[in-house]
Amino acid sequence: MKFRAASPFTLATLLTAALATAAGAVHAEVSKLRVLTHSSFALPKPLLAKFEADAGIKLSIIKAGDAGEMLNKLILTRARPIADVVYGIDNTLQAKAASADVLEPYTGAALQRKALATLSANLVPVNYGYVTLNYDKASFAKSGTALPQSLDDLAKPAYKGMLVVQNPATSSPGNAFLLSTIAGMGEAAAFDWWARMRANGMKVAKGWSEAYYTDFAKNGGKYPLVVSYATSPAAEVFYSKTKLTEAPTGSLALKGAVFQQVEGVALVKGGAQREAAGKFIEFMRSPAVQEALQTEMWMFAVEPGTAKADAMRFAAEPGSFDSLPSADIASKNSEWVSRWTKVVLK
Amino acid sequence: MALFAHYQRSAALRRCALAAVPLLFLACLCVAPMLRLLAEGSAGGAGVSNTGAQSGGYSSSGFIALWQDSYLRGRLVWSLLQAAASCAMVLVLGLPVAWVLARFDFAGRSVVLRLLMLPFVMPALVASLGVLALWGPQGLAMQFFGLDLQDTPWLLVYGNVFFNLCLLVRAGVDGLGQVSSSQLAAARTLGASPWRAFWRIEWPTVRPWLVSSLCLVFLYCFSGFGIALILGGQRYATLEVEIYTLVAHELKLAEAGMLAVVTMAITGAAALLYTLRESRLATPARGDALALRRPSTTLERGMVALALGILLLCCASPMLAIALRVLLAGPGAWAVLLQEDTAAALWNTLRFSGMAVCLASVLGLAHALAAQRSALVRWAALLPFVVSPITVAFGLLLLYPQWSASLPLLVAAYTLLAYPLVTQSITSALGAIPANLHRAAHTLGASPWRCFWRVTFPLILPALRRGMAFAAASALGEFAVSLFLARPEWTTLTTLIYQRLGRPGANSLNEALVLACLLVLLALAAFLALEYRPAPAARTCTPQRARPTHA
Repeated sequence: MKFRAASPFTLATLLTAALATAAGAVHAEVSKLRVLTHSSFALPKPLLAKFEADAGIKLSIIKAGDAGEMLNKLILTRARPIADVVYGIDNTLQAKAASADVLEPYTGAALQRKALATLSANLVPVNYGYVTLNYDKASFAKSGTALPQSLDDLAKPAYKGMLVVQNPATSSPGNAFLLSTIAGMGEAAAFDWWARMRANGMKVAKGWSEAYYTDFAKNGGKYPLVVSYATSPAAEVFYSKTKLTEAPTGSLALKGAVFQQVEGVALVKGGAQREAAGKFIEFMRSPAVQEALQTEMWMFAVEPGTAKADAMRFAAEPGSFDSLPSADIASKNSEWVSRWTKVVLK
Repeated sequence: MALFAHYQRSAALRRCALAAVPLLFLACLCVAPMLRLLAEGSAGGAGVSNTGAQSGGYSSSGFIALWQDSYLRGRLVWSLLQAAASCAMVLVLGLPVAWVLARFDFAGRSVVLRLLMLPFVMPALVASLGVLALWGPQGLAMQFFGLDLQDTPWLLVYGNVFFNLCLLVRAGVDGLGQVSSSQLAAARTLGASPWRAFWRIEWPTVRPWLVSSLCLVFLYCFSGFGIALILGGQRYATLEVEIYTLVAHELKLAEAGMLAVVTMAITGAAALLYTLRESRLATPARGDALALRRPSTTLERGMVALALGILLLCCASPMLAIALRVLLAGPGAWAVLLQEDTAAALWNTLRFSGMAVCLASVLGLAHALAAQRSALVRWAALLPFVVSPITVAFGLLLLYPQWSASLPLLVAAYTLLAYPLVTQSITSALGAIPANLHRAAHTLGASPWRCFWRVTFPLILPALRRGMAFAAASALGEFAVSLFLARPEWTTLTTLIYQRLGRPGANSLNEALVLACLLVLLALAAFLALEYRPAPAARTCTPQRARPTHA
């Protein structure tokens, strides 16, 4: 008996809800600035709201996976662009973006100003950071092992099974670390080192989160060394369970193990809302954003004279690093990643 | 006779009309995007040819060259092997559990049946944190027994069992409910041992149910992106990961397309096997189902304990490990529950899952009703599992760029991945309805619509609810939805968890675990609400639960 009363009601509710979903959600995006970003993009909401009020336009932020995936989505849809402005293309991807011709030149004030890091034409640098090795202080204290002094040390038996890296084919820090080894040692020596590391029990994880939270000894794994960022120790203090006076991890700026990553913002070719897009580019270089991004995205500000966030005092900036010409990265990266797969995984 | 023929003709017409809706949905959201991406690969377009990334189009020689790569062949073999091994483990562990749940009545039995699906909603990374909290180098097993399973193949299979055991157990319980009590009683009277009676009477009945659920497990494990990969590291990458890398990072669409075609051939074959098996299940339910009994002997109590032990070890313990860590995390991490972001994510999770479950129910119901006479239409319902999610995600982007960051497309993506589960559940229930019920209703003057309301719908309602629970589980856990474009304002609990796990710090980790617990509690509430039914109503309305004749 119960069913007869309940059933028509249930189905009617289902149908109504379904139709409401379909009908209610179809509305065109008018006078919005579409911003394509990678999934790590984060800025305080009040700051974004202030931009909307000042520029007189609504922001529509679209996250498209990590930076490499984001650029590929931009390339695939370039006939009908899905965004007006893009943030997050970095120095490893700039040449690919240029050859696929998906960006448009921007000549506003932000590009004219001096920056602490540079990108090629069409991209306005916003922030920079370093991919480097991190170590778990407690593990090294417990085992009494000395910290490695070079990448070659890591290939020695004393450091067997101590390092976890990300797969460069699926992770941008993983790819950056591969590039740093090639920049620091040269192609032949770098792949020789990778082969020795494979024999020395190095683990390969899919992405940063997997490596950091399942394999790194700080968080329940057994590998006391992980590929991460120079700012990670500062974030460890910032997001610690109790107030810390010292970071539980440290970064190791070994020769050949530091990659400087510079991220920028650019106009999307064929996008709309040119004026607002220009305002957004200027906004990304404004003092408020340059200060906020330090603890929101854990990167260093490119605008000279930006106040350093207090938490960043635990982030040591590496004194030196090696870099590769971006044309080389564009033409050879894919080949290097395949070769890495062959040397390390096959 | 003429009247009956007319009845059949109009029924066929209605089925065609019904089939149009879900088939159109599948064509637009699954098949067309996949074909679009394959076409892009054959054109060799995408504007990256000058970077040397594009090999440019398909050719048989390119196809052969691709498979001459022993690494790729290894990936294929490994994908097959781990899926097969997981199926075997799930069968060995799941059948005893299903048997105990189908035969014995004990305190908490119905709760256990409903909780079975909880692993389904766990984000893979969180689940692997739970697994490592038990079996990892700093886990409980290490502290007590000095056992560290990290980086061993055992942990991968364990991970797959964690996620897929529920599928087999649910199917096993349903299948064992179909065993004829009089046949079993006859066998025992004629002197068959319980063991022999099981092999001769129960096993043949339950076997097709098990095979069909194993096909589903195979589909999930073969194209799995999930826990096995995280636990095993990149040495254990599956072919699906290879396709992901080729499409998302290298834009080598032609090579990705050639791999995708091979995986789709394999998953398509598994789905076909499933469909054919399942059509044999479509026999009217028996009226003489076995009654549940209380375990009386020591052996029987031991069996119940063993079954609960398996569930505890394989399914519950990783979740309990996470709950324990959440309790130990302290108020600093619990405070995340009061944050504005969490409230917004909770609302989004409820909203999107609710919409997806509603749409999935409507589509699933229509598809199941339409597919009653056609194995091909039933097979089509499995397409979302057959087609690789990466090709769908990128194909949608190519096909509908103007809608690619719109809410309808997001909800449609959730629905696409959830609705086959509703169809599967209802299809098996429809098969169990004796045909003469409809004929009787029709003869007595009931219109087809009234016949559906008064006869079919009440009988399939429990299956619809079960399907909705599965759909809710998959929507809450949102497999592969991260491949689609997202908006910060659409952040769900799962994306919030991954955001927390994307930055360093003990508190980030603890907050992620607290949010995971919230997600599981939410799922728990959803399952209990969706599958809640007053006990007497269910007994009179489902043929499977018809009053047993006591042997």
